[in-house]
Amino acid sequence: MRQAVANVGAGALRVAEEVGGIVILTGQTLRALVPPRVDTRELVKNLYKMGNRSVPIVVLTAFFAGGLMTLQTGPFVKKLGATALAGWGAGYAVLREIGPILIALMFSGRVGANNTAELATMTVTEQLDGLRALAIDPVRFLVVPRVLAMMVMLVALTVIGDLVALTGASVVGHAMLDIEWSTMFHSFADNLRPYDFLHGVYKSIAFGAAIAMSSCYFGVTVRGGAVGVGRAVNAAVVAAAVSIMLLDFFLTYLTG
Amino acid sequence: MSIDAAIRLRDVHKRYGHHELLAGISLDVPRGGKLGLIGPAACGKSVLLKLICGLEQPDRGDIEVLGESVLRKREPELGPLRQRVGMLFQNYALFDFLSVQANVAFPLEQRGTISARDILERVTARLRAVGLAGSEAKLTAELSGGMKKRVGIARATVADPELVIYDEPTAGLDPVTTQKIYDLLAADQARTGATVLAVSSDVVALARFVDEIAFLYRGHIVHRGPAATILDAPDPLVRQFVRGELEGPLSEARA
Repeated sequence: MRQAVANVGAGALRVAEEVGGIVILTGQTLRALVPPRVDTRELVKNLYKMGNRSVPIVVLTAFFAGGLMTLQTGPFVKKLGATALAGWGAGYAVLREIGPILIALMFSGRVGANNTAELATMTVTEQLDGLRALAIDPVRFLVVPRVLAMMVMLVALTVIGDLVALTGASVVGHAMLDIEWSTMFHSFADNLRPYDFLHGVYKSIAFGAAIAMSSCYFGVTVRGGAVGVGRAVNAAVVAAAVSIMLLDFFLTYLTG
Repeated sequence: MSIDAAIRLRDVHKRYGHHELLAGISLDVPRGGKLGLIGPAACGKSVLLKLICGLEQPDRGDIEVLGESVLRKREPELGPLRQRVGMLFQNYALFDFLSVQANVAFPLEQRGTISARDILERVTARLRAVGLAGSEAKLTAELSGGMKKRVGIARATVADPELVIYDEPTAGLDPVTTQKIYDLLAADQARTGATVLAVSSDVVALARFVDEIAFLYRGHIVHRGPAATILDAPDPLVRQFVRGELEGPLSEARA
């Protein structure tokens, strides 16, 4: 019993240490943005690498996620004779919840994990010390462009994903449930509000920040060579997933 | 601080867990001087160099470099001092996202005070000097260990720093290249008058380059003397180490 309590306590301390570390790195990142001197070459490189190359996987995921929403809700709305609400059901779920969360989790697994692995490898091969020895602040040079790129690109990918998911919902509705294109379109247009879309966008900004800060934190604080790099990637993905779920709950609760 | 000392360490302590790696190091390196630092593996030589660069902080003691304290300063505050110091890392610390040329140009570009044309000229000359002409476009992952070391030397010295710190400058190099590199470092030092602190396991080659050698053992500097006579140092511990003898006080202490 005593050992179990000790283990819980040690685990809580570890989590507190990591949360504290992420908060400190966030503070350093914000401080590095004043005055806003960002290495544009690094920023553009990261925008391309993190955003452009993520489009195919986001499109694929979003299309089927949208289609799935129609598959799940379609039979019920048809049974109740409420096909005019089929688009609303799928669109509401996609824009406010499924789209931002699913794309953020995909982004964390692809971009966040890659970012942690890159930074962690640079840390264990002393490249961060190399930057510091050359009077270059690693936070300003490496972390800031990555954080900005991840936040911007997750929002952009979420917007693209939303559009693709609505398309997927319409295609599946038409092909598998015989719902007319125009019915789906009017269902979206008449029932979804701009705020439903913006609600997802707000969330994706918060998710992007969470993924960026956790992936950078575990990358720059890694210890222990190749094994440490693996552990850091694992910790970053888990931390990002937990952060996304917690942020989603509280943002939904607070902003409706 | 005396104006003659480029590096001044006073009672520097550094502990990792329960192991006190540095247990009260006091050391001066005169301006324009060349000091070699030797000692058994994992005795804290590289850590000492990182403390001097402000990359790590000591638990206790004072460290002054080129007349400035490196203790308890934030990264931006250390920037101006670090621009006056060049450091070669034991494991190269080359940026794997940049080419050879970009690695060497990096410290000059980041200063933002030198024209692109001048940077290119200086980088080309430096790469030629370390025998890497023609490798400018290669990525560091494509280089052998010895080539990486030479890129690291080029990057550490391209800005003509006042203090150059070399951590194993010739590890992984063949004897001929080792001598060429030391000749290059000596010529550089003669040209710029820079202070040099070098750690190397190749004591014989190091002794030909530096003026003095200090021996770090169990957290203390136990010997410091002229490099030319290091093979005949009065301390039997040092003598055994530099001669690579299997029998002696070093072996007994390890046992």
